[in-house]
Amino acid sequence: MTGRRIMAAEDVRRATTRISHEIVEKQAGTDGLVLVGIQRRGVPLAHRIAASILEHEGAHVPVGALDITFYRDDLSLVAQQPIVKGTQIPFDLNGRTVVLVDDVLYTGRTIRAAMDALIDFGRPQAIRLAVLVDRGHRELPIRADHVGKNVPTSREELVKVSLEETDGEDAVEIERLPVAAPAGGVVA
Amino acid sequence: MTTATASVPAVDAPPETQPVAWRHRHLLDVDGLGPAELELVMGTTDAMREVLARPIPKVPALRGTNVTILFYEASTRTRVSFEVAAKNLSCDVVNIAASASSVSKGESLVDTVRTIEALGAHMLVMRHGVSGAPYLAAEVFGGSVLNGGDGWHAHPSQALLDLYTLRSRLPGGSLEGRKVVILGDVLHSRVARSNVWSLTAMGADLWLCGPSTLLRGFDAWAARGAAGRRFTATSDPDEALRDADVVMALRIQRERMASGLLPSLREYAARYGLTQERLRRAKPDVVIMHPGPMNEGVEIAPDVAVDPRSVITDQVTNGVAVRMALLYLLAGARQRAGGGG
Amino acid sequence: MTAIGDIADGLTLRGWAIDPDAGREGPAEIVVTDGRLERVTWLDGADADGVGPDGTLIVPGLVDLHAHFREPGNEDAETVASGQAAAAHGGFTSVAVMPNTTPAIDEPGVAALVRAAAAASGSPVRVLVHGAVTAGRKGETLAPLGELADAGVAGFSDDGASVHRGAILGNALAYAGALGLPVIDHPEDPSLTDGAEASEGYVATVLGLKAWPVAAESGAVARAIDVLAGVVRDVPGARLHLTHVSTAASLAHVRGAKAAGLPVTCDVTPHHVALADEWIAGSRRWAWEAVADDGSPRDPWTDGALTADPFDPALRVNPPLRPASDAAACLEALVDGAADAIGTDHAPHTEVDKHVEFGWASNGISGIETALSTILAAVDAGRLPLARAVEAFTVGPARVLGERQGVRPGLREGEPADLVVVDRGATWTVTPASLRSRGKNSPLLGRELRGVVRLTLAGGRVAYEDAAS
Repeated sequence: MTGRRIMAAEDVRRATTRISHEIVEKQAGTDGLVLVGIQRRGVPLAHRIAASILEHEGAHVPVGALDITFYRDDLSLVAQQPIVKGTQIPFDLNGRTVVLVDDVLYTGRTIRAAMDALIDFGRPQAIRLAVLVDRGHRELPIRADHVGKNVPTSREELVKVSLEETDGEDAVEIERLPVAAPAGGVVA
Repeated sequence: MTTATASVPAVDAPPETQPVAWRHRHLLDVDGLGPAELELVMGTTDAMREVLARPIPKVPALRGTNVTILFYEASTRTRVSFEVAAKNLSCDVVNIAASASSVSKGESLVDTVRTIEALGAHMLVMRHGVSGAPYLAAEVFGGSVLNGGDGWHAHPSQALLDLYTLRSRLPGGSLEGRKVVILGDVLHSRVARSNVWSLTAMGADLWLCGPSTLLRGFDAWAARGAAGRRFTATSDPDEALRDADVVMALRIQRERMASGLLPSLREYAARYGLTQERLRRAKPDVVIMHPGPMNEGVEIAPDVAVDPRSVITDQVTNGVAVRMALLYLLAGARQRAGGGG
Repeated sequence: MTAIGDIADGLTLRGWAIDPDAGREGPAEIVVTDGRLERVTWLDGADADGVGPDGTLIVPGLVDLHAHFREPGNEDAETVASGQAAAAHGGFTSVAVMPNTTPAIDEPGVAALVRAAAAASGSPVRVLVHGAVTAGRKGETLAPLGELADAGVAGFSDDGASVHRGAILGNALAYAGALGLPVIDHPEDPSLTDGAEASEGYVATVLGLKAWPVAAESGAVARAIDVLAGVVRDVPGARLHLTHVSTAASLAHVRGAKAAGLPVTCDVTPHHVALADEWIAGSRRWAWEAVADDGSPRDPWTDGALTADPFDPALRVNPPLRPASDAAACLEALVDGAADAIGTDHAPHTEVDKHVEFGWASNGISGIETALSTILAAVDAGRLPLARAVEAFTVGPARVLGERQGVRPGLREGEPADLVVVDRGATWTVTPASLRSRGKNSPLLGRELRGVVRLTLAGGRVAYEDAAS
């Protein structure tokens, strides 16, 4: 099934670069800044943002990876056992500004779980959120600080993000959900 | 959000799933676990090790899950390990020691288990002195039963933590073709029996060694193999230890003397005790294990227990991670099955 | 529809009849009038059309040398009346009950109690009573064997335990021999079976069950035979019956004793013939399917035989279920006659005693209702001639009991109708509700068995009639 392409590789590249500028601008520099990507596609996005910051600021921003599996409240809803990809946060979060990075912002529940997880690692000075796509339909009082593209969607659609690192190409597509999609399908 | 008609999604995206799903509601033995399932346990244990390394080694994964730990035999290590594991996953834990409950008033296991379920337990971790007792509990319990050791029969969480410890210690993380020796009172050992299944499943060259009185029947099992996977049984410790990659000493109990299985502890220590001298037959980088608790100076010399090649304390730490993984996997299977409330 | 206890009258039965007493087998028509076999007509030619050994079977009422009816003392597990109902459902019309009741049947008063219960039940199934060998079955001093004999006991046994002192066994054989009664020994050396859970061998090793050595039985068998050999020189009437013999080694001793002309007999149970120790691991195939071509037991862990959960306490029994090779030896003994009889060792238990940890479960299988179907499974599999099976269920045990008990299985005109009609082609599923016994402790629960008892007549009266027939 292929859907309607709303971002091509070049759009993805420009969005990440812009987000990296916004992050530095908002922080007024790179001091105390760390990036934490949410498994799975948030992680390569965080690395790209860090690379972009290095390019235009000459500063190394630490990048971590966060797996929210153990913070999910839907163990009973998944059809199979989740992959446990692992969390790597090899730096101290206390007093830092943590920018959470994910591919799609939707209901906000992933971010809620990610913030719960982060706080178990320390007490950041601030947590911000950067996403490649905001598709609306929030169910929690959460908003993104940095957004690559706002995409109006219906709940019957799914937003599929592909990245070179995980999927072989950069693209964002919108697909129509089949009426009875098999549970546990890959949905971004 | 998996379907257009789904109820409130818990998170924006459903998690990606393993090609091998955990399908067991109970963990009573390791004999039913294939290599892929063992890998799933190992992989989940890796994630739990990472959790244990966090500043706050606790995650909310099993919040609201009631775990009852019912031990009919004295145990510190395994009981505490399960309790810590459950608490790290935010389970609510109730501990029942057999002597402190109505068990000592003669209540049957079936009634005890039904009562525990009525009190809201979702998962039951049990240890029992009679082989097979957890199967009876599983027959009547609506949730998941996790065998914490039954009689001489099985000790699956120990076998899995042994496997995890070995994989993290052996070069390449593989047991394939590695000579693993289990030394001691094999006959009465649930640890040995469970390890027969898991170690042979992972391709180890397994040797069981002990005095012939404590090895009765194992020669025949070795010749048939565990589901056809052959291993070796011998009462000759020198032959067993020659070029061994791993040696695991088993606890020897004093009752064995009273029942005429052994002449004396002294004779046992002299012939089968794991000493530095005996270890010289093994490979120089041999991995030394013991499921605990140890009788130092009997089945294992004190200097061997603390030798740099000993992973005995790793076994304890890994025990918590493996048990977290097992609780997590079983909880997922239980909830998917819609059982246990 | 007739009621239990009614005199059988006006019945014409047609089917494949076996009269092991007369040594005759074939299509027959039997007319029952006023409780007696008025006419037994062996059919041939066109008259026999449609009658074969796989259809309706008519055989003499089955005889069980060894059952536990638990009364007095443990009526929750079984009463004489429920035991009789179970026996009739299983096709048995004469049952000898063991004296390990509470109190033990070690004096005439207790024996009389059991007989009175049998008479009061309304069931025509004849209940014979074995008296204890020793007072209180403690194995120390002789019970009043003479008084018990006067009270009509069928034999003497301390079943549940062996008569473990050789001297007492010898005295019992001599004393009972003079009274014309057999000593029925449960061969077990208790020094080898303390805490034992499963027969020594592969299954016990893998499951971590304490081994029950073969020698515990075969050693006791050998000793009992040797004691008998000494006694019989002085007391020619001495007779030894070894019950629930379960190993090839034991049967070898029995064969040797028989060859030497000693007055020894033995029985095997249906479960030791048809079930093997691998059932404890979760196998549910018949024992004869579990034997490899070379006679050794197959490996249920490699050949996909493990289809049920392990450690079903219903499988805990004394002697324990044996490796399939021993089960094959028991079957062979039935085929060639080394085993004189099938004894059910019907051992009903309550849930309280049985639905517990395997190693703590009471020993025993509630088996009198499944015995015939189980043995017929061996016949169906071509492992046992039908006539031999019927012999071992009828004239075999009757011979062990001796003529004075008046148990004379046969299909003789003019005698009271004592027979069972079995639909060999029909099947039934063993469920708690299907068992008349109070003991639901059958490892065959849930299994479909072939061979449905349609009618049991005992002593001219209706003991059981299938509602469907």
